[in-house]
Amino acid sequence: MKILKLIKVNFFAFLVLLAYLVLMIFNRNLGIDSLKNSQYYLKEMIAIMPPIFILTALLDLWVPKETILKYLGTGSKVKGVFLSFLLGGISAGPIYAAFPVCVMLHKKGASIRNIVIILSSWAVIKVPMLLNEVKFLGVHFMVIRWILTVIAIIVFSWITSLIVKDKDIPEADIELPLLAINSKACIGCRLCTKNYPQVFKMENGKATIIKDYKTLDEDLISQTVKACPANAISYNPETND
Amino acid sequence: MDRFTIILWIVTALLFIFSLFKDRKKTVKALKMATGLGKSMLVSILSIIFLIGLILAVIPPATIAGYVASKNEFLATIVSAFFGTITLIPAFIAFPLVGTLVDAGVAVVPSVAFLTTLTMVGIVTIPLERKEFGSRFTLVRNCLSFLFAILIALLMGVFL
Repeated sequence: MKILKLIKVNFFAFLVLLAYLVLMIFNRNLGIDSLKNSQYYLKEMIAIMPPIFILTALLDLWVPKETILKYLGTGSKVKGVFLSFLLGGISAGPIYAAFPVCVMLHKKGASIRNIVIILSSWAVIKVPMLLNEVKFLGVHFMVIRWILTVIAIIVFSWITSLIVKDKDIPEADIELPLLAINSKACIGCRLCTKNYPQVFKMENGKATIIKDYKTLDEDLISQTVKACPANAISYNPETND
Repeated sequence: MDRFTIILWIVTALLFIFSLFKDRKKTVKALKMATGLGKSMLVSILSIIFLIGLILAVIPPATIAGYVASKNEFLATIVSAFFGTITLIPAFIAFPLVGTLVDAGVAVVPSVAFLTTLTMVGIVTIPLERKEFGSRFTLVRNCLSFLFAILIALLMGVFL
């Protein structure tokens, strides 16, 4: 049971592991080559991710929501677009390094459009990359590609913002758990699932939290927390002071 | 480490020290948050890394180049855009590679298509992106990036 659950949660990781196992059995050399290839990316990750995580957390705690909303929110217009390009363009690291930063920014009010701009420019128009491009493909090539790419990003970030809305993006669990159930204390009385079925469900006789609930109704949730006879639900509304 | 990574470390260290002086408690909280973030992403990122290693071993970039060079331009563009989509190659490998492609006589359009999808669209990062931003965002962003990558490539063909 436990193993199955572990596989379910880390399904992608499990598939990769399986692929390596198969490769190691049938084509050992290729498997070893794969591991050697991974080395570079592993080093890159170790060099990039620790400061990115710390920076994300620091920005989250120090920069107030209003500031992000003002500079990167839906109302920020041209200024927001420009800032987003700047942020993505001067950054270091692969595209996945932009994920935690963007999740945090979105949580603090950055618009979907600006998030897409940051992600895309982070990936494709970095300054060190441009220098490299000049070296191998020439100034002419680089300048035209750069201009076209910037225009393309401006257009498709706008299209994305038309199709994807804020509610489509899961709430960031960057804060320590907002809502948690102490399953040892839970007596399985189902009161919470009756009070707030959008958030709570029963699993193997114990209450659990539905992972992708969208928003929390402040009144309803505090009512549910109080109602629990075992005091098993803990709710920590934003502790940012 | 390249210069930008070093700058990232320095900036982070300075901000961290500044934060520590201003509010010790808050900084400790930030550290806890950073560790939490790292833990929540570690397995996904490691999977991405080892998958890239595997893909690069099974379909080496040189094979892609060889294959693309022998096809007509339209087919080559589509194929190279797809190859770019499934892999994620660091810029310092991608540019020399595209440089050799162009030198070897591969047309500009497929080369640029390859270059753009290489970095902007990533099949390997989709599971992580989905977890962080939801399915709809991930799907729309990757599809649009792919389409526009081809558009950029076609326009490059006109201008160069």
